[in-house]
Amino acid sequence: MNWLDRLIEDSTRRVARSSSRRSFLTRLGTAIAGSAVAVPLLPVARGAESAGSRAEPPDESGKSGDEYDPTSCAYWRHCAIDGFACACCGGSQSSCPPGTELAGMTWLGTCRNPDDGKDYIISYNDCCGKGSCGQCLCNRNEGDMPMWMPPKSNDINWCQGVASQSYHCTIAAVVGVAVENG
Amino acid sequence: MNRLLPVLVLAAAGLAGADSGAEYPPPVNYMLHCMGCHLPDGSGGPPDVPDVRGEMGCLLSVEGGREYLVQVPGAAQAPISNAELAAVVNYMLETFNADTLPGEYAPLTETEVAGWRKDWLPDVAAVREELMARVEREAVENCTGAQK
Repeated sequence: MNWLDRLIEDSTRRVARSSSRRSFLTRLGTAIAGSAVAVPLLPVARGAESAGSRAEPPDESGKSGDEYDPTSCAYWRHCAIDGFACACCGGSQSSCPPGTELAGMTWLGTCRNPDDGKDYIISYNDCCGKGSCGQCLCNRNEGDMPMWMPPKSNDINWCQGVASQSYHCTIAAVVGVAVENG
Repeated sequence: MNRLLPVLVLAAAGLAGADSGAEYPPPVNYMLHCMGCHLPDGSGGPPDVPDVRGEMGCLLSVEGGREYLVQVPGAAQAPISNAELAAVVNYMLETFNADTLPGEYAPLTETEVAGWRKDWLPDVAAVREELMARVEREAVENCTGAQK
């Protein structure tokens, strides 16, 4: 086995001489951090890119009043929500509370931003895996269809394609701008 | 009646919304009417929600496949015009199925959609199975041996 030991020792020493742990860590770190930046983590963000016309959410900073309060039912993005607003449940209008899983399958609608007057495409993803949040129930239903048209109904449990179907709360993420033809 | 009234009002409101006259470009209609289940990248959740990447293009090469694309319930019943449905299906073909489109690819037209759409398929799974078997039998280029 001596020759095998020598072979491995030689090659190991060669690698050790020509590289440093630090350079390896640098490359590894770049790979991890770089890919995290390049690939948005939220499915909704990926969706906006692949479906084209990716929209930045309108600037809501510095605006006051219920229409700009994600914990209010009057929040402008909540025009077609039916559920508990995640902003009241430890999450935000665009992220799930800790311990819950974002359902990729969802129902989408448009809401008009009161500031710039544009219609934005809102994705009402459910956050799943914990019991009902119970805070800030909001049921506005603009454009909602009855259950006989499932893809356009917000009455069904959209915890689909996730580990648990237990519904916790709903986010309201901006994924695009609905600009009409013409 | 008291319990039925909200349902009727809701239905009327929904229908009014569906026929508001607004026509959107294909990427917007994909987001509003398809993406909810087929997901932003088209991967869906097989077997319940078909993956629309690849197979859609394959279907264009076999008899009955072209019609099928606008006769599946999600397409046929989407609250958009025939022209919009043709455009959004063409968008999906060109975006998610570039590798499997037939050489002589012709986009769907509004007239075709108008003719086929009303005959939507109640047993969509059986038709799909038959069409995919046809794809396999006819050895459509880039489509066989790698069925999802």
